[in-house]
Amino acid sequence: MWLDEADGFAEIFRGYLPYYLLVALPIFIIMSPVNPVAASHEFSVYRMQQYDLHTVPHGCRSASFNLEGRSLTSWSTSRHCVVARVQDITIDQFMEIRAKAGALLLVLPKNDTMLTTEEKEHIQLLEMAMIQQEVNAPVYFAQWSPDFEDIIRDLQHSFITDDRSGTALEAMLNTVSSNGYQIVVTAPTPQKMDSKPVTLHGKLVGRSGSANTIVIAAHYDSNAIVPELSQGADSNASGAVAVLELARIFSRLYSLASVRGAPSLLFMLTSVGHSLNYFSAKKWLEEQMDSTDASLLQDVSFVMCLDSISSSPTLNMHVSKPPKPGGAAHSIRSRLGVAVNHKKINLADELLAWQHERFSIRRMTAFTLSSLQTHKHPSRSTILDNHSEAHAQNLVDNIALIARALASHIYNLTDEVSDEDAGLYDDALTVDEASIKHWYKYLSSQPRSPHIITVSPPTAGVTAALERTLSRYMDVTVSIHAVDKREPEYTLYSPTGAILYVYSVKPAVFDLILTVAIAAYLTLVYFAIQLFPRFYEEYAKVVTGKSKVQ
Amino acid sequence: MTLYHFGNCLALILAPYHMAYKYSGISEYATLSKCVYAGGLYIFTQLCKMLLLATFFPDTDSNYITGQYNVFLEILKATVDLADLLGMYFALNSVPGKGHAKILTSAVGWACAEVLVSRSILLWVGARGSEFDWKYVRSCAESNVALLQHSATAALVWLWTRSDLPRKHSPIVVSLLAITPYKGLIEDAIGSVLSLSAWAMLGLKAIHTTAISLTALGMYAVLAQQIQ
Repeated sequence: MWLDEADGFAEIFRGYLPYYLLVALPIFIIMSPVNPVAASHEFSVYRMQQYDLHTVPHGCRSASFNLEGRSLTSWSTSRHCVVARVQDITIDQFMEIRAKAGALLLVLPKNDTMLTTEEKEHIQLLEMAMIQQEVNAPVYFAQWSPDFEDIIRDLQHSFITDDRSGTALEAMLNTVSSNGYQIVVTAPTPQKMDSKPVTLHGKLVGRSGSANTIVIAAHYDSNAIVPELSQGADSNASGAVAVLELARIFSRLYSLASVRGAPSLLFMLTSVGHSLNYFSAKKWLEEQMDSTDASLLQDVSFVMCLDSISSSPTLNMHVSKPPKPGGAAHSIRSRLGVAVNHKKINLADELLAWQHERFSIRRMTAFTLSSLQTHKHPSRSTILDNHSEAHAQNLVDNIALIARALASHIYNLTDEVSDEDAGLYDDALTVDEASIKHWYKYLSSQPRSPHIITVSPPTAGVTAALERTLSRYMDVTVSIHAVDKREPEYTLYSPTGAILYVYSVKPAVFDLILTVAIAAYLTLVYFAIQLFPRFYEEYAKVVTGKSKVQ
Repeated sequence: MTLYHFGNCLALILAPYHMAYKYSGISEYATLSKCVYAGGLYIFTQLCKMLLLATFFPDTDSNYITGQYNVFLEILKATVDLADLLGMYFALNSVPGKGHAKILTSAVGWACAEVLVSRSILLWVGARGSEFDWKYVRSCAESNVALLQHSATAALVWLWTRSDLPRKHSPIVVSLLAITPYKGLIEDAIGSVLSLSAWAMLGLKAIHTTAISLTALGMYAVLAQQIQ
């Protein structure tokens, strides 16, 4: 039988086997896949936004990293990725991380509504500080999940630190007991996105003979530190919803020749707002003013921009020039009964304050209605700008107020109207509460950062939805703008999201300690086998009743 | 984790097997081929068991997902492991020589084949990845316990085949052999009742196996003395 012969064969083989293994093992290792095991944790994460404004870089400049995870307190070098809750990190800590750390991973709060006012304020200020300058390290945001909570807790209580920890034995025990995490994001290097901002406009023509035009404008994008999570309910879903609702109300009034108002109404929705210096409005104005047929913007009575009108029931009128008594803007102001907030245009600033300044530069009477007191309010660019019922109700009230003021200006009504007229008036100007709330909810459920809406084609997504709705009331023109090739006004960069892998690992020293432990164990086994015959003798004596053993 | 870690695990698994082969004296009988034969029998037995399980038992993979645990079915499946004893019997028969050489040779061959077939793949795939998990180190330590366990089983089977086995020992041998297939189930049950951690489970297995081994060794000693 071949097995009997194999004894001799095995003898030959025994001598050579180690050498064969020496060749075969490396070949096996090379042949087998590089990363044969999946990570224990996989998360989808969102990258901090990256853009250039007038070639000045902003935001996060890189995307990929493969670093060891550390907590806010234990990180020390650029080989560490700092993992923290967004509530926990202070602005000073962020500045230090920006300068020295390898990457930053921030976990968003579990539930936005559970945050205290201070925490909200803190997050908003942090966002402002983060976007001020460029960050060379990759910065990612992740939605809260129980797994992340565990990882953060592990990292916070981890004893893996670089500084001396008591005795050597203590340090050794720490390396065995604590968990390390290797955090890996593989993403393409940031690339310029092909951004095509659009402007939607439609006109309700007034009674013939009067060329007066009132422009009602709003931008419908949002701005936050994370493009994928910028819901922008107040800024500026509210303004866009108001434009849609005003278009609906006045299209009904203007459809009948008998009640058609004198001035024409021009409704405008721009896709790039305050974060990118109202680029859409600027381009659109250039196109309209330079075209041979400049009839659209002839004799503009005033331009009313709507921005962030849902955060409180009171409105402010922001102007660059105080409205003159007797002028149209003054008439609206007195009909609305709002406070005037005067701020001169400062062209030296990086960003214009409000959208109306784009029109004011072109020497039109323009103002912005907003619930906010100042354009610097941090709530205009935050991830916490979410949908809420209270805000939706504010929005309904504010739209009703604006519709009334606008109508009374257009029809030049005074306060002394008879009850019968007031009834008719109320009937014609009722806002459709359900529709407003529905639109407000829809828009604030969509991420509408310029990184998303100006990159997708205008026939898809939010832009298309707005266009379809507006075209129910009037003919809508979609103008697509292009960024200058040589001197781009702004540049947006992808990617906006990535997949993050977390591997639990042990420090390198751990393997050495493990080797020592295994060696000790094997020595023990060796002696146990060596001593087994003696043990067997003793044991046999006991079992067989202490009889003689040879 | 790393290749180094893989080396660590490999040392923990293989060194005791090597020492058991080298220093227990069976290598003097030049029985490497018998070890290989025992290993081959192990693989053949496993194939037969798989065939049995696949043919006569319902598909239980879906139960993993739903989390159901059918005790009766598990016991039935464990019963198939009786085939292991049969395989061990053939392995013992094929090895010539004295009792202890028979037992150790088939046990080492059997356990080596088990490591090769069932544990090495897991190690190769798992312990080399960048993810660290204690379970690989644990599985290596477990394979050491398995060596002891297989030696005990081999000793019991050998004892059972002896016609000169003392009459009073015979029920102990038979009952221990009957329990062998259900060993894993019993340990799991104790573990879940006491809600033991994975390391405690390993300790439990080691204690259990040691107890069985010592009993088998005692009976072997008695028999060995009789023969002399």
